[in-house]
Amino acid sequence: MTRKCRNIIRVALVAVGIAAFAGASFAQQDTYAPVYPNGPLKAKRLKDPVSSLLELPFRLVKWPVDKSLVYIDNHHVADKAIYIYDRMKEYGFTPHLAFTDSAILPLMGGNADLVAVARQKEDYPDLIATASLRYAMDNRFVVDSEIGAQRIGETGFHSSGTFNFDHRSREPFYGIGPDTSLGDSSSVRMETTTLGYNVGYEFSPTLDLTGTFEFKENQLKHRAHKGKGDMTEIFAGRDIPGLYGGEELSWKAVLLRDTRDSHDEATRGSYQKLTFKFTEGVDSGKARFFTYQLDTAKYFRLGSPRRVLAVRFFGEHHDEVNGGEIPFYDMTRLGGMGSSQRTSETFRAFTYNRFYGESALLFNIEYRYAIWEYRDFRMNAAVFLDEGQTFNEFSAFKFSDFRESYGVGFYVSHSKHTVLNISVAHGDEGTKFYVKNKVAF
Amino acid sequence: MKKHLTVNSLVITVTMILAVPMVSRASESPKFRERETTLCKDVFDQNIYYEGVNQLDLGRWGRKIFRKEIPAANVNVFDEVPDSSFFTNRHGRRRLSNEELAKGSAETAGPDLSAPMKITKGKQQGLHPGFFIEDAKGDRYCLKFDNEGSLELATAAEVAASRFYHAIGYHVPQYTVLRFKAEDITIGENAYTYDDTGFRKKMTPEILEQYLSFLPVTEDGEYLASASKIVPGKNVGHLSFRSRRQNDPEDPVNHRDRREIRALSVFSAWLNNNDIRESNTLEMAVTENGKTVLKRYLFDFNSAFGAAAGGAKPPMFGHEYAIDYGEITKAVFALGFWEKPWQEKWRRAREMPHKSPAIGYFSNDQFDPEDHKAQLPYEAFRVLTNADGFWAAKIIASFTDEDIRTMVKAGRYSRPEDEDYLVQTLAERRDLIAKYWFSKAAPLDAFEVLNGKLVFKDLAVRHGFVDGNTIRYVAEVSRPGKKKKIAALESREPSLVLDPSWTAEGGKAELRIRVVCGEEESPYVKVVLGGAGVEGVRHED
Repeated sequence: MTRKCRNIIRVALVAVGIAAFAGASFAQQDTYAPVYPNGPLKAKRLKDPVSSLLELPFRLVKWPVDKSLVYIDNHHVADKAIYIYDRMKEYGFTPHLAFTDSAILPLMGGNADLVAVARQKEDYPDLIATASLRYAMDNRFVVDSEIGAQRIGETGFHSSGTFNFDHRSREPFYGIGPDTSLGDSSSVRMETTTLGYNVGYEFSPTLDLTGTFEFKENQLKHRAHKGKGDMTEIFAGRDIPGLYGGEELSWKAVLLRDTRDSHDEATRGSYQKLTFKFTEGVDSGKARFFTYQLDTAKYFRLGSPRRVLAVRFFGEHHDEVNGGEIPFYDMTRLGGMGSSQRTSETFRAFTYNRFYGESALLFNIEYRYAIWEYRDFRMNAAVFLDEGQTFNEFSAFKFSDFRESYGVGFYVSHSKHTVLNISVAHGDEGTKFYVKNKVAF
Repeated sequence: MKKHLTVNSLVITVTMILAVPMVSRASESPKFRERETTLCKDVFDQNIYYEGVNQLDLGRWGRKIFRKEIPAANVNVFDEVPDSSFFTNRHGRRRLSNEELAKGSAETAGPDLSAPMKITKGKQQGLHPGFFIEDAKGDRYCLKFDNEGSLELATAAEVAASRFYHAIGYHVPQYTVLRFKAEDITIGENAYTYDDTGFRKKMTPEILEQYLSFLPVTEDGEYLASASKIVPGKNVGHLSFRSRRQNDPEDPVNHRDRREIRALSVFSAWLNNNDIRESNTLEMAVTENGKTVLKRYLFDFNSAFGAAAGGAKPPMFGHEYAIDYGEITKAVFALGFWEKPWQEKWRRAREMPHKSPAIGYFSNDQFDPEDHKAQLPYEAFRVLTNADGFWAAKIIASFTDEDIRTMVKAGRYSRPEDEDYLVQTLAERRDLIAKYWFSKAAPLDAFEVLNGKLVFKDLAVRHGFVDGNTIRYVAEVSRPGKKKKIAALESREPSLVLDPSWTAEGGKAELRIRVVCGEEESPYVKVVLGGAGVEGVRHED
């Protein structure tokens, strides 16, 4: 190496030193300079190794969920789904999803508005022609249809004919009256076919009177399955009317007044439903009885629409006529959430169809209050108490036969339509959990 | 001489060995994988996933129990955030002129209307259309509009808020207010749209006419839009508020621990922009000096001030997360007899937003700087320390009423009353935020050694939040890293007399200064002094 080269290197090193010193001096003066207390920035772990390990199984779930959500957003899947749903409705088809009362099973199906299907909705807006089908695996199969008209002659008159086929694979039965045992667990497979004719008058949007004439065929099959015994064996020797089904004719009048501000999330108003019905067996059927029913609820705002006290009374009595009998499947039933099919009234700590009787008294009181609101979403918490009993004759009614059910629920709604109802109820027969998409009342 | 030569050769050799791979590394641009996120993913991740798995974080529990904080990892020795691809110190470092504040990041005056804008892509959410357009100069923009009945609400808020974020120091696209007539817009070749159906459709004159029919118009019959210029570079997705990009040498610190990411919660509280979220950020790969680097942007400010998607801001926004487990739990146990602050405010407002549709729902009633919440519960916002909050508040406090007015004016509100209302609300909120965070830290700044004294500014006194006559400054002096106190200082003025012996002969001294007001003592600010004066500052976390 020549002296010249060495000098160049020395000069270069001195220059580098001066530059470094100048940089340091600058750093002392520039309070925004990237000079850090512990040298250059280094990454630190977000979590300790143990916590990372604990998270690991959840990360395996997060990845596909994240990918799916990104796909849904990027491909406008939600918009497409809503569009398809709206178009189906426009063409008269509406998908249906609910949960069965007897089990947490999805009850799926759809309704067809045949007037819309025929593209005649605009020309005949008051014509009713609907058909629906619902199915829950190994549990229920229902077909409904209705043909008629509303606002006939631009008045409140309405009239329609109905057809219903209802197959229930497992209708539980525990005996009749207040003193039955959950241990006498039996069930029946039941198929009912109903033809009806309705005529009524809508006095106002909140008041309606409807008369119905109905023919119903009840077919029963007895067998033991899935932990429940054969009804004819478990209740052998006991008088269970209607044990083998039968055919019936009935005449019914229903007066309905409904002033609620919303069906699913009422904060004020009330409804009253008063029913008188006469049922008579045909051919060899022994059924012959009157039914009187009052179903009423009132909703009180407690100083705010976010606090609502909902009170409901349900009373029903069946009265035999001229030695006729009341088949067990026509009796009043209590138990379950009572939210979708309304065959068994709301008595939440008890299983669906737990109590059968010629008469029933039921009180539901529920305090609902808002705990979360986000745009059109809302979640109400509810604390409820159900008090009820079934009995046969009034002379047999005893206050001591009332059973209690109490619990809490969380109801999520969107635009005042319930999308999720998670409830838990406790009573003297244990605790019941519910996941539904409707509220009890 | 031979020895010197050997040493020199060794230095050069080592330097070359070290330098060669660095040069080769520098010339290799990292390949950035796209980070995808959407609103749904953000909601799931933040509101469900992390809310759950954070409960399995033992360190987090430890920090909660022992009240430990995670100090920001990217602050320099002076407790400041150096410039980076995330943040550039602007108004907090040097007061921007009115022209700079008004201009923001704007490079142009907006779309060039000398020829009709060509739509390249349309979008529609509900009755809320938007367009991607190309103007006469070939610049590309995204046009967004107000909802029916809310003229100026979202468009003006977006443009004005972009000026604030820019002046604070974030990178934002250019936003301008655009007024145009139907003849100023046409459909480009191959233009398409995703309408309400979710299906891709060719953009047709009928669809354009339908879109335009949804839009509110000004008194002059013009359409009003916020035009954001498409930023240069390759879009590689969104900025995580949690973790760093491991292959980005410019991104050495996890984002949760970046002060400027944490402080987004404070700035967004000021601007009432509860929609600050990962899916409203962008990372753009750009080539600078032959090297691919990332530039991080915030965008989509049409939920700032009193605006939100769909119209006026819903009343719970800013007070609760989208799903707020804490608030839900409190409400469950209160059995409905607890009126939440936002419910009280909404009741007092007679459940109506501001009478001017351009304002929406924006006031300081029930505003709490400590409890203001973004839409999603990002952990980065939750680990914000007092020092981080002080840093953000210091920047916010640096904006005068005039500065605020200049930036609000960029929204071009047609009614002076609306502009006045916003300026007043933002100025009030600035003071509320600054007062709060200045009370959570020693609000002392701008430390200097002058004539044997350590002088500084008390920002709380300077901004009139505290009476300077009621406070005193106390300091404990020690050697850095040592606990033993070597002196105690006290002063009623924002200056402390120093003993030259502390820093003589290369010595250093550490002062822990607190502000005392009556019986109350503030957290400390640590100042390190050396021969060159102030060598370090750190506010207590």
